[in-house]
Amino acid sequence: MSALRKFRRKVFSGPVDPRMVFSRFKEVLESNTRALEIITDMGEKLGGEYIFDIVYVKKSYDELYAAIDEAIKKFNQLTHGRYDVEGVFRGIDGIIRKSIYQEDYLPAKTVLFFDEIGWEAARDAGAKNCRLAELKNSPGLNVPNGFAATSRAYDDYIRHNGIEKKIRQLAASDDRERLSAEIRDAILNGGFPGPLSSDFDRAVSRLKELAGENGFVAVRSSAEEEDGDISFAGQFATVLNVPLEAEKMKAAYKKVIASLFSDPAVSYQLQFGYTPGRMRMPVGFVLMVDAAASGVLYTADPASGEEKIVVNSSWGLGSPVVEGRVGPDVFVLNKGPVSLLESRPGGKEFMLVPVKEGGVEEAPTPAELKGQLSLNVSGLLELAGISLAIEGIYRRPQDIEWALGKDGKFHVLQSRPLRISIEKTRPSEAGIENPVLMKDRGFVVQQGVAAGRVFLLKNENELDRVPKGAILVAKHDSPAFVRVMTGISAIITETGAPASHMASLCREFRLPTVVNAGDATKKLEHGREVTLAAADGGYAIYDGIARELLAEARRGSPGVEGLYEFRKKRYIMRFISMLNLVNPLTDEFTPEKCRTMHDILRFMHEKSVQELIESSRRAGGGFALKKLEMAVPAGIQVVDIGGGLSPETGETAHLDDIESVPFRAILEGMLYPGAWQEAAVGLHARDFLSSMMRMEDITSGGAAYAEKNIAVISREYVNLSLRFGYHFNLVDSFCTERAASNHIYFRFVGGATDISKRSRRIRLIEAVLREYGFVSSAKGDLIVARISNIAKEEALRVLDRAGRLIAFTRQLDAVLERDDQVEEFKRRFLENNFRIG
Amino acid sequence: MSARIMIIDDEKIVGDMARISLEQEGYEVETFLNAAPALDRLREQGFDIVVTDLKMKGIDGLEVLRTVKSLYPGVKVIMITAFANLDVAIEALRGDVFDFFPKPVKIKELKESIKKALQN
Repeated sequence: MSALRKFRRKVFSGPVDPRMVFSRFKEVLESNTRALEIITDMGEKLGGEYIFDIVYVKKSYDELYAAIDEAIKKFNQLTHGRYDVEGVFRGIDGIIRKSIYQEDYLPAKTVLFFDEIGWEAARDAGAKNCRLAELKNSPGLNVPNGFAATSRAYDDYIRHNGIEKKIRQLAASDDRERLSAEIRDAILNGGFPGPLSSDFDRAVSRLKELAGENGFVAVRSSAEEEDGDISFAGQFATVLNVPLEAEKMKAAYKKVIASLFSDPAVSYQLQFGYTPGRMRMPVGFVLMVDAAASGVLYTADPASGEEKIVVNSSWGLGSPVVEGRVGPDVFVLNKGPVSLLESRPGGKEFMLVPVKEGGVEEAPTPAELKGQLSLNVSGLLELAGISLAIEGIYRRPQDIEWALGKDGKFHVLQSRPLRISIEKTRPSEAGIENPVLMKDRGFVVQQGVAAGRVFLLKNENELDRVPKGAILVAKHDSPAFVRVMTGISAIITETGAPASHMASLCREFRLPTVVNAGDATKKLEHGREVTLAAADGGYAIYDGIARELLAEARRGSPGVEGLYEFRKKRYIMRFISMLNLVNPLTDEFTPEKCRTMHDILRFMHEKSVQELIESSRRAGGGFALKKLEMAVPAGIQVVDIGGGLSPETGETAHLDDIESVPFRAILEGMLYPGAWQEAAVGLHARDFLSSMMRMEDITSGGAAYAEKNIAVISREYVNLSLRFGYHFNLVDSFCTERAASNHIYFRFVGGATDISKRSRRIRLIEAVLREYGFVSSAKGDLIVARISNIAKEEALRVLDRAGRLIAFTRQLDAVLERDDQVEEFKRRFLENNFRIG
Repeated sequence: MSARIMIIDDEKIVGDMARISLEQEGYEVETFLNAAPALDRLREQGFDIVVTDLKMKGIDGLEVLRTVKSLYPGVKVIMITAFANLDVAIEALRGDVFDFFPKPVKIKELKESIKKALQN
């Protein structure tokens, strides 16, 4: 053995003192907890319900930085610096500080395709592109493909042509019109820097691959704030039907960015408190839809806020409708159930049509089309359905641009929040006739009104099945819900705390959420339509859809959220509280994948748990082992690393001596009447042979595996590794009053029987664990399952069931002859029927 | 006629957030980044309530309080500050301040305090 290998062995796999590891583990958790509390506080204070100042933002962020920095130090000690969390941390910190201290920020890339644009790219790609990309990436919607030239592309272009000085002078200039004209000129006559030009050419080629040679694009502005709450609608240029050729697209690009400096756009910026020239303009290149008809749709009546769908539609391309230059057909539809209430034919005086060589032209509408409605009823109903799906994503009435392609398909070209021009009133309970199903028990994490069908989630593995618009009801809160947060209407959980991972995400997404709501999974049955009205300090869940409440809540101005400065400050939360690392059982769970502070905390928590499990598994050598006498022959020996055993424990330990809370729960489960399988189960010769062949495999872990059945315990911790015959079973749990710190990890591998029987046992174990909310990954005869963020009481119940499962499945593989027995034994187990004969 | 509220804070975002929130309640709101022009404005236009930051460059919140109270004893003053300092709070209260909020201020509480001040 080389010196290096010897050294490695010593550091990584030699016996470590589990007491030290455990105390470091607790230190990491402590700093993690502190950091999460700060994140929660920031999410709350920057959430729109508080007036804050920059002092608060700076002070809180400094505290957060210190807490995470501390956590990383402890984490590096615990893991011997094996993970480069530090580098990722510095990177994210840089972005956040730039935001707080208003330093310039530019993305690394000049071009982003829609499939590369995520929530974090709003500033890079512009709000409009970001929304379009989000729609494009939502299943079930037809959105044309395209790419964004980012704020960096803009900056590179401006700098390359030396225009930045003039732009800086704009704010203070006393001849703004002349200066703006000079800037526009310089932009239109400028050249592309080499790297930007080649990035562009590559993007055009890729879009050609996606669209075919004869594609055309619309080149549209997507300024940072456009389509946000302050609408720049119509302020900037759009160039329609540009051939998919790099040179023509570059020319269109110049026209669009020059429009940032048009006289009306400059005065508009001044009027809304922007410094002209401070804004950078990302631009979208979106494939054109060959439209038979197009127009706009509002998912609420923009005048009254009433819950109705209003569609304006005309023949050809949509901009004359958007700009109000033709009299469109107007349709009004009822929202639920969707039905047509009213059609008013419009003049449709002319239509905008694409020209073959590029560009568009206005043509008189042919007489036969003029007299005909541009949408039929079935089309309207289909379009209405699409619009409601989009409204479901944003949970706010939407203003949607759409096109009906000559292919007969509807395409979504844009969606933005609808401005409704009437005063906001708080949703009041008076006059609501729907019966109340639940009220006020628990914590309101995010206020709001939401209606939809209940989806009762038993297990995180079912998340993919949660439909859009559903109200997610679950036993536990989980950060994994982030995967569906943009699609669902609300979350209600039985356990959970306002400071959990999930809660901070719900605030981030403005998703109405109630946690710790008692017996929600019993009161709210799967598939039932309900309305949640959550306000400051209380909530009510009504049976059915309470339309009055929805309508009331949707009215009104965005309030402080409409303020530019507010959103700019809030923006940092995207790099603090969002969570991308969700499933620790996948390969994606690496430091490189951390994009937010929350990700880093989550990563460290999970890896610390792994470290603890590993060190406990290697414990034994050099520690005082105490034999545990119990009513079943489990042959367990105990290592107490702090408060796990009563001080009065004698030579051997008994059940009464166990003061480790999680260990005791497991033992009680193992001792549950009937669970322990005593009867010898006959092995077939085939199984026996199989076990002989597998000896090598199982023991090849050598010293890494404990030779005995060992429980490493403290008052709030257990690591129980069991070796029964030919399988290993490991349960590791940290169980305290604080749900966010708790975890249960369950691992089972091997067996003496042939692989088909062994894998049936694994499937059975997986099915049972999923009933208790575990997330799992199984392969062959190995299963790894985990559950975290679980309240103590629930954790103890689950540990007890895990104990029963250990006892029950010990020899069960031998009788699992057929696949259908898996379901049968699962049922028996859940009914406490442990007969295996 | 709706009540008139003046907000003085040297940080723009504070005044803007307060203005938007209070306008939603139907109040007439004016915001100032400095106390001097705010006090000038007070001489030409009556206000029912003045919400002021405590620590500001130039004329600070306590001076605003004294001036307002000596000129217009009926005007209620609500103090907000980033520094939750109890001593200052006590002095402020002795100086006839109607209410006192450490920042960040919960908008709902500010609204309730203003409502109470107007009923008083």
